[in-house]
Amino acid sequence: MRFPKSEGAKPAVTTGADPERWVEEHGDCLYRYALLRVRRPEIAEDLVQETFFVAVRTSGNFRGKSSERSWLCGILKNKICDYFRKLGRETCFTDLEFLADELSHKFVPQGFWNHEAGPLEWKPEAEVVMHRTEFWETFRDCLTKLPQRIADVFMLREMEEMETSQICEALNISPNNLWVMLHRARMALRECLEINWFKKPQQEGHL
Amino acid sequence: MSGEYNPSPEGNPSFLARRNRFQTALVKFVGRYTPKCREVVRILSRSMDSKLSLTMRAKLRLHYLICAWCQRYAKQLHVLRKIASSAPDHVDEFSQDALSSTAKERMKEALRRKSP
Repeated sequence: MRFPKSEGAKPAVTTGADPERWVEEHGDCLYRYALLRVRRPEIAEDLVQETFFVAVRTSGNFRGKSSERSWLCGILKNKICDYFRKLGRETCFTDLEFLADELSHKFVPQGFWNHEAGPLEWKPEAEVVMHRTEFWETFRDCLTKLPQRIADVFMLREMEEMETSQICEALNISPNNLWVMLHRARMALRECLEINWFKKPQQEGHL
Repeated sequence: MSGEYNPSPEGNPSFLARRNRFQTALVKFVGRYTPKCREVVRILSRSMDSKLSLTMRAKLRLHYLICAWCQRYAKQLHVLRKIASSAPDHVDEFSQDALSSTAKERMKEALRRKSP
């Protein structure tokens, strides 16, 4: 689902909508996601509240093709994007300091990988590890190690699945700066997952 | 500038290693005429967000022949995307934060007011 600009300005048709049950069943999950993204509890709460408002207004559009949760999650994603649009008008989002040397020890001066430090084969495959709770804890820890703005643009791109042109516009950053920031985020996350997950003996689990 | 640096040392997992004079010449050639790894990883990140030119895609293919590391990196960027886009579905697994019961009541109350 990709960012319909209007949140369906259709009249409220509350067929089968049960907002109070939504709060009980999905409230915490939505709140966790929002909190991961905006970091401030009061803002996360507001976003969840607004998500439910939109859901009530547009529940007529919900056809049960996806689960109720992913439908609500989709609305929340739009709300998160809106939040960053607003923030982008007030804050400078460019961060080119982070990893300015781009892990230079990984490469020899000629520009090739240092053969001792090149990417490892990831085993077991991500599809397998994605079922493990400890893996997600590692992923979260790696995300929190990124500088805030780098993490923000990365998550807008990969979690909310915003187009790069939209991110540039929303956060008022140049395409080139965005490329650099995304590249550094990916490089650092890849490295962090490798060191903290794929390189560790799996039988011991997450350390 | 690659000089005598050997981009494909013995025992490395790339398709082309310097096993004989012919392969050595090929490795050197590919190393000279394709972007260096440091640049390749930037290009690969960019390829996640926009389509590369045909020439560039061909160069990357060639480069992979002498560089299993860049090839892995490319694959892992896609894995990373898959992981990140699934993260919202797994948020219950890495966070114990929860709405307070008063917050939930507040929300229900507000929803009741919105939809009589």
